[in-house]
Amino acid sequence: MMLLRCIKSEHQKLRHSLIFPACILIPVIPAIMGTFNYLQNTGILTQQWYSLWTQHTLFYASFFYAPLIALYCSYLWRLEHLNNNWNVFMTAPVTIPCLYLGKLTVILRVTLLTQFWVGILYLACGKLIGLPGFCPPKIFFWLLRGTLAAAAIGALQLLLSMVIRSFSVPIGIALIGSVLGMLISNKGWGFFWPYSLMLMGMNSNKTEDALRGSSLPFLLSTGLFFLLFYLVALYLLKTRDVRA
Amino acid sequence: MNPSLFRQLQAEYQKGRRRHLLLLPLGFLSFQILWAAWQLQNASESELRTGYLLLFHHLPMMNAILLPMMSAVIASRLCDMEIKGDTLKLLYTMQRQGRFYDCKYLTGLQYLAAFTLGQGALILLAGKLWHFTEPLRGIMLLEYLAVTFSVSAALLAIQQMLSLFSSNQILPLTAGLIGCFLGLFSMFFPKPIARLFLWGYYAAFPVASMDWERSTRIASYYEVPFPWTGFLVFLAAVVLIYLLCRTITIRKEV
Repeated sequence: MMLLRCIKSEHQKLRHSLIFPACILIPVIPAIMGTFNYLQNTGILTQQWYSLWTQHTLFYASFFYAPLIALYCSYLWRLEHLNNNWNVFMTAPVTIPCLYLGKLTVILRVTLLTQFWVGILYLACGKLIGLPGFCPPKIFFWLLRGTLAAAAIGALQLLLSMVIRSFSVPIGIALIGSVLGMLISNKGWGFFWPYSLMLMGMNSNKTEDALRGSSLPFLLSTGLFFLLFYLVALYLLKTRDVRA
Repeated sequence: MNPSLFRQLQAEYQKGRRRHLLLLPLGFLSFQILWAAWQLQNASESELRTGYLLLFHHLPMMNAILLPMMSAVIASRLCDMEIKGDTLKLLYTMQRQGRFYDCKYLTGLQYLAAFTLGQGALILLAGKLWHFTEPLRGIMLLEYLAVTFSVSAALLAIQQMLSLFSSNQILPLTAGLIGCFLGLFSMFFPKPIARLFLWGYYAAFPVASMDWERSTRIASYYEVPFPWTGFLVFLAAVVLIYLLCRTITIRKEV
């Protein structure tokens, strides 16, 4: 009950904010540009739906998902960093896990919406350029897998935005982390770097499943990172004095 | 009486104390060092022979991904302190609005200059560490750094305007993120379309280019003449962008 109230109040804080327009607008850009790029290179990109997927996810999953979710997280914590709201937040008559889970649930919901929107855009672009039939079901699985990785990155960014009082610095960290993630996953160490999990989960820029036979390590890594960031955040909230 | 420009700049410096703003360009630069090391580690012998040209060709893409966001973060860090503290009303009673904008911008430019100089040092250092045999022409390095700095300066003017307009900083950071997208994608577009996106101008005035042989998978890099006329027109456009952003910000009701 307490948790539901926390989730509700977090939703109320987000009402009329620019977060949702950003969540709709930003994924449209890689969709349009990815499709345009696909149409420019149909000579090399011959696997239709799979090739279109590579172009849609190449930059979205590799570079831009993490800064996007970082934007949501920074906004969510900015409300507490301003106007002495930390005092109100920490003295609310609810437990700390409920307070934090309220914010985490909002981030997970926005993540889910963004991923769903990316899927819709992919289908719509595919049909608009006249790709035959329906997209392969495997791609929905990749999208779902990407969503799990996205949840781990969301938990990390929520933790960073809680600790760093600046709005913009966690977003810069997310961008650098993502680009670094691409290099790390190329080296084969992607399971140990949370930002790499997104491009691995989404099978970004690949037509063959890069995680075939590695689903368990992927799930384990995603789950462990998510739990780690969640527990660190709770520990900090319980033990550190707030700076209102 | 309005305080002197030097006094106003000193005030900006004092506001930035202990905010560790220099860590921003250093962080982005450290990442570029890592990326350059990775790129050069994987380069073939023949590519290393033209190592400077390789870096001049590939660094603009890295700049297009990272620098729009770095400009957005720097501008947001500098302007958000005024938004959070609601200090603009107070400041404008002591400072001309235009001069306030100039001082903030000059402060931001210092960090861009630090980054650009750091990138120059990175190129020189890479040449020493990986033993590039090709001689480096100083003018080429200067041309490359001038392009990097001037495009970032134009973006900083836009970001500063957006940061001063936005009470919650979502708008400028969203613009920065969209800029990264557009800058990167525009590099894969035909030139006339790519020229529509300011964020992609890091690659608009190249000093080096590449030929890639598909069958042998060998890349060869070569020098291209710097498009001075186009660059000078662009510099004039940067000044215009700055003046436009400044005018729009001054007209905003506080």
